[in-house]
Amino acid sequence: MRFEKYFQPTSIEECVSLLKEYGTDAKMLAGGTDLVPRLKNKVIRPKAVIGLFSIPNIDKIALTEAGIMIGSMVQLRHLQKAEELGDRYVVIKEAAGHVSSMQVRNIATIGGNACNASPSADAVQGLMVMDAVCKIDGVNGKRDVAIANFFIGPGKTVLENGEILTGFFIPAPKPRTGTAYEKFAIRGDTDISIVGAGCSLTLCEDGTVTDARISLASVAPKPIRATEAENFLIGKKITETIAREAGKLAASNCKPISDQRASKEYRVEMVKVWVKNAILEAKVRI
Amino acid sequence: MSLEKMQFELIVNGKNYIFYSTPDRTLLEVLREELNMLGTKKGCDDANCGVCTVIMDGMAVKSCTILIPQANGRNITTIEGLEGPNGLHPLQQSFIDNFAVQCGFCTPGMILTAKAILDENPNATEEEIREGLHGNICRCTGYESIVRAIEAVRDGEYKDLEV
Repeated sequence: MRFEKYFQPTSIEECVSLLKEYGTDAKMLAGGTDLVPRLKNKVIRPKAVIGLFSIPNIDKIALTEAGIMIGSMVQLRHLQKAEELGDRYVVIKEAAGHVSSMQVRNIATIGGNACNASPSADAVQGLMVMDAVCKIDGVNGKRDVAIANFFIGPGKTVLENGEILTGFFIPAPKPRTGTAYEKFAIRGDTDISIVGAGCSLTLCEDGTVTDARISLASVAPKPIRATEAENFLIGKKITETIAREAGKLAASNCKPISDQRASKEYRVEMVKVWVKNAILEAKVRI
Repeated sequence: MSLEKMQFELIVNGKNYIFYSTPDRTLLEVLREELNMLGTKKGCDDANCGVCTVIMDGMAVKSCTILIPQANGRNITTIEGLEGPNGLHPLQQSFIDNFAVQCGFCTPGMILTAKAILDENPNATEEEIREGLHGNICRCTGYESIVRAIEAVRDGEYKDLEV
């Protein structure tokens, strides 16, 4: 037996009251690609598992003038292939497409990728680059949290007992914006990233950077933004030298660990390379 | 407290199954242990190796990490469901003819993943086929003959076996 009780609420209200009742003894089941192996290996022993797939309207993508809403139960493969997102939101599709294999993307969800709070989560990087807003619903009402503030540490988010992540709002990018996410892993997408680097650049008409965002995976206890490197880019014109400099600044921002995939020294060097690559790719896409 | 059994329904290879199970079992466990369909294999049991791949509502998924409530009411195709009135499924025959099978353990998952790739994109390039197979591990063939077998079906060499 892997848990004691199973619930499948049919509304947000029912779900959050169950989450409140069971607190840390409850686990939410979305795609299950992270949760189910941990249940089977008894890494976790929750009392209750709450299946989210009967809750209406949290598995949709909605496009508006102001931006897009992505429900937390949208599958990564659906997101990867969502033509309605077009070139403006390409990094969301790109990052979702870098998660594991086709079979896993067919069932894993964007909300699960975020709530699992792995520092190496690829799909989250698309949200970081686009400065997404996390939509949270709970027994005490709704609240919004910027994606960069959603994570606390490995496996930990700001979600409190009785709260559920219902989706993300991604504000429409300004004109002349280019975005990219670069994943560096030995065995391609099925592998966990050694380093992931995302970049968003907005240029004014003469090619000077007016807005820059750089996000990093697998180099800190949570997904992070490299703010020093972002500030350095503003007011400059992107060249290979400038991109390289920004990479060095980003490397000084991160605190990677050594594990079976790479040493921390190697990761720092790779941040320099992949941040540079992400900046140059984002520029090409403007 | 013990976990109570619940009623579930699956459509497997076109046949309707209604059964009682605790909700903590995986789709793979139910297929093998409840429905006695042993064609779907259990390998790493961790969503890495791909031998447990089945097609659920037209999409290839790894049945070892799907809890049975997630599959409730859905349409599942396993390797047992591929054979048609004209004989083996084109992919099955092509895997045999192209010697894409050695020990055979990865084969059901490979064939179902290949089916999902070609159903979605009948003109998949070699690169797209290899990208689609990324979640399936074969330790015998080196993938060359597997890709060749899938390309042969893509190129229409087994049209007479199609239903």
